Amino acid sequence: MPLLEVKNLNLSVLTGNDLLPVVRDVSFRVDENQTLGIVGESGCGKSLTSLAIMGLLGGTPISMTSGSIVFSGQELTSLTNKERRSIMGNQIAMIFQEPMTSLNPVYRVGDQIIESLRKHRQMTKTKAKKRAIELLDLVKIPEPENRVESYPHQLSGGQRQRVMIAMALACDPKLLIADEPTTALDVTVQDEVLALIRDLQQRLGTALILISHDLGVIANTCDYVAVMYRGKIVEAAPTADLFSNVNHPYTHGLLNSIPVIDRDIEWLKAIPGRVPTINEKLAGCAFNPRCNIAENICTTCDPEQITLHDDHYVRCHFAKRGTND
Amino acid sequence: MIIMQRVLWIFKGRRLALIGLFWLCLVAVVALIAPLLAPFDPFEINPIMRLSEPGIPYLFGTDHFGRDSFSRSVYGARMAIIIGLGSVSVALIVGGVVGMLSAYFNRLGHFLMRVVDVLMAFPALLLALVLMTLLERSVTNTIIVIGIVYATTTARILFGMTLKLKEEVFIDAAKCAGAGHGALLFRHILPNLISPILVQASFIFAFAQLQAAALDFLGLGLPPEIPSWGNMLSEERIYVTRAPWLLIFPGALIILSVFSMNLVGDVLRDKVDPRFKLDIKGI
Repeated sequence: MPLLEVKNLNLSVLTGNDLLPVVRDVSFRVDENQTLGIVGESGCGKSLTSLAIMGLLGGTPISMTSGSIVFSGQELTSLTNKERRSIMGNQIAMIFQEPMTSLNPVYRVGDQIIESLRKHRQMTKTKAKKRAIELLDLVKIPEPENRVESYPHQLSGGQRQRVMIAMALACDPKLLIADEPTTALDVTVQDEVLALIRDLQQRLGTALILISHDLGVIANTCDYVAVMYRGKIVEAAPTADLFSNVNHPYTHGLLNSIPVIDRDIEWLKAIPGRVPTINEKLAGCAFNPRCNIAENICTTCDPEQITLHDDHYVRCHFAKRGTND
Repeated sequence: MIIMQRVLWIFKGRRLALIGLFWLCLVAVVALIAPLLAPFDPFEINPIMRLSEPGIPYLFGTDHFGRDSFSRSVYGARMAIIIGLGSVSVALIVGGVVGMLSAYFNRLGHFLMRVVDVLMAFPALLLALVLMTLLERSVTNTIIVIGIVYATTTARILFGMTLKLKEEVFIDAAKCAGAGHGALLFRHILPNLISPILVQASFIFAFAQLQAAALDFLGLGLPPEIPSWGNMLSEERIYVTRAPWLLIFPGALIILSVFSMNLVGDVLRDKVDPRFKLDIKGI
């Protein structure tokens, strides 16, 4: 049984009187101990998918129109708010993109870690504090006994993100969702934080969903990758398979646009055009205006998901032919 | 000692405001030990000595009933503090609850904030007068009325701040940790509102003094026998030519207290939001 299974998730945003689809037919699964990477450009719906799993769409103009999210055999979307809150932070935890704003500025970092321990584990204050110090030590914050008393503004960006990780891990969650956890950090710090996440994931056996727009990060960390474009998963495969056997022209374009460090190149290869906005109605495959192998069929007919082999799925009319030039 | 140091640090370079703070502390102490300070019973009528000039033993003179004006002023300080604290509490609790809930629950907010808008459409004094005419003259009612008048502005300010705060990532993070509505509002949003609440409180305290004095003067505030600075002005105003000191002393007390509170409020506001900082040296 998979730990988390998302099936045919559809999210729409309400603009005026129209419901515009922003995430369409997204399905994926995460097994225990597994790491799933979700890549895509800004606005492709990867963050929205994670917010839908966490149940954070309430109060936004975005709503879930259909689909199911099953976590350890439990349908999350049919739970009451209270039942859902008992899972949040306890069994599923999330790390946000902006460590600068994701800690409450008026509380000591220790108190913020303690909060979920006291709520979900009913620990006493002293015990929870001891655990908070252990957690800070686990995420390699120096002098955790002193740092536990610090306010967020007294920590650096990298340290804050470590605190966020400590908070997320407080109750030993089975699933950790990291939404671009390193985007707001320096490159050197990025590397440290990623190494930490990777290391903790392996040591604690937590399943991880890593959302990023950096294929390099994903390649280093994840067992399985899903590439999203304009609200759809266009290609999904085990990491090694995806990189060796690229099928969707978008994935191909993404990989090609990564500059190779030891080669002298004049021009970076970019995918031509831009991501269509959600207001633009596109017939056929959403990628067709930017695709280098598009033919007539691509402008009229949206490709279905094709299973290539085992766990490799792709949405492209020319998938089997391959697109390697 | 540490508190003293912090206060001095906050008021660094704001000498006038420090004097204001000192004055307010003095008023508070006087209010606290009023029975010890007042040489006479503030209610004791002594017609023989009516309208005496300031001197000994009547420091501020006597009013037209022969009551000692100094004793009444001392007890007036007590009323000033009670009215101030009471109105501030009412305004902050009512305004805070309305503002925060309105921002947090959108639909409720649509309704509640329109009510606030309607109340804010009336000038403060007019609203207070209307409410007071509906109610009986008493200390509690005066506090409630002034509190409600200033609850509207408090609600507006906290509504805006909460609206902004509830979109912060740390609120999402708290939701992810399983926090419910109550925990979000009171454990995560409210502590972030402490500084604007503090600033708001200091200004309400000052305005409540003026408002109470105005209501007293118009004969709609505290019952006339209660010694308050506003009542003293109201009762003795016809003797302004014969015994001007009866108006000068309580009037000066009101002005000094309101001015002091405003100065302190300015300093607090500047500490919270440096954008408002006026470049006036020494104030």
